[in-house]
Amino acid sequence: MEPVEYFEVECPEPVGREYYRKIADVVLLDHNLLRVIHKLHIFIDPNVPIFVATGVTKKLPGVVRVRDFADVSEREGRVTISIGDEAYLSFLLRILWDRFGKERVNQPDRFTVVLAPGEGEEVDIADLPVFDPSESIFKDLIYALQVIQPEGFKVRRQFYGKNRFYLVASEDTLPENIEDLVRQKFSLMGVEA
Amino acid sequence: MTHVPVTYKGGIYRHDEIIDLIEDLGGYIIQKHVIAQEIVLQALVPREDIELIRRIGKPLTGDITPSPLVGTEIAVVSPSLEIHHLPHASCDVAEYIRRFGAKTNMVGLARGFGKRIAQLNDEERDVINEHDLAVYLLGDFEACIERKFPVLRRGIDVPIVLCGGPPTEALREIIDPPVDGYVGGIGRFMHRTKESEEIEKLEEVVREITRVMDRHREELARDPLSISPARLMDIIAENVEEIHDVLSPTPITVQMRGLRVKLPYDTFAPVIRKTAVDEGVTIGDLAAVSPSRMRDYILVRIKPFSETNLVL
Repeated sequence: MEPVEYFEVECPEPVGREYYRKIADVVLLDHNLLRVIHKLHIFIDPNVPIFVATGVTKKLPGVVRVRDFADVSEREGRVTISIGDEAYLSFLLRILWDRFGKERVNQPDRFTVVLAPGEGEEVDIADLPVFDPSESIFKDLIYALQVIQPEGFKVRRQFYGKNRFYLVASEDTLPENIEDLVRQKFSLMGVEA
Repeated sequence: MTHVPVTYKGGIYRHDEIIDLIEDLGGYIIQKHVIAQEIVLQALVPREDIELIRRIGKPLTGDITPSPLVGTEIAVVSPSLEIHHLPHASCDVAEYIRRFGAKTNMVGLARGFGKRIAQLNDEERDVINEHDLAVYLLGDFEACIERKFPVLRRGIDVPIVLCGGPPTEALREIIDPPVDGYVGGIGRFMHRTKESEEIEKLEEVVREITRVMDRHREELARDPLSISPARLMDIIAENVEEIHDVLSPTPITVQMRGLRVKLPYDTFAPVIRKTAVDEGVTIGDLAAVSPSRMRDYILVRIKPFSETNLVL
């Protein structure tokens, strides 16, 4: 596994900085997120008080389609899907139910789904996108950062996109020029916001 | 006869002999745990008889060790019961103090988090005041502790031991008026305490609590209680049958200045008040029996000699 390239905690209190460096390290390790983080800069000023975490993620795996985890075969107008990796089954079932209705999606056993599409209905199951890992990684990342941040910082703003993420939190209203602060923290890592 | 708090650990075989021995010597069993084939007794025993108990317990693979906190109830106060403070820090400290005989209760504040927004409500204040001592486990930043601690200690009249991330000296400097004890270097952390220096930190917390408790005991000795809490516990256990139906691990919790009796207040407070301690003396004469803020329990606060002119 590639190590995190940049990992800094910035804080006016040197003792607090060391504690939070350790906390961030433990939390990210526990949530298995060190593998997706490329760079991370955390800034905490308890005097304001404000918490800013900015970071860059590594290249994430792409969207999971049906053919990535199942075999699809079509015979006599029925489509049979043999599931290889059960992890995505629940997402797939939900999509199929929405599209075909429960009465036409049959599941004779745990690893088999049989579809009965209507006459002339176009079915391209193999390429159907089922799961986007970036969505759940975003949720996991933001959750982990909320665990790292000092407790009680209920006013939050968060962003994720183009491999960048940030979370700003405080117990007071966030200042209007918060974007400038975030940009400044990104530039410390040598990254444009 | 001075009683010393001890823990006896030994095999379950013939352990009733040890219990009888402690009771015959005039000691009190505060709590009894049966863990598989082992028994752990927390007791107050006469100082001069410790050797005798050790000698008799030896063939039963028993060992007796001093436990300075037996007979105390301690509140471990955490700013919240969220993942930021649990399970590590709060639980690790509470569990470690328990090993030295204290009965610890975790008090997670409803709105204790944050710096400006931290609050302590009246119920939390009263619950903390029902204990012998409060251990406050705060965070890692000096600026936060300095700002929020005055709010969290408002109205608390039991001794306080303050734990936080900054060094002990720094804590001492920022807290005004001073509290009874300080332990620095143990603030918010997210991992289990298992390294030797982390265990040493927990030891330091226990040493600080013991020091504060010893000083508190000395103060109490100047105006002694009318009856020892452990003896009062025995009297209630003998006279109030229903206490034996309570499933809590400690149906009667012994504190330094009284007891917490885990029976409904409305039904049993009159019964306890009328229970005779000696000829012509009832518990109501020696102690204030009041409702506890913890569930529907009864809090018994023993009055000092100066109020009752009695020592039993």
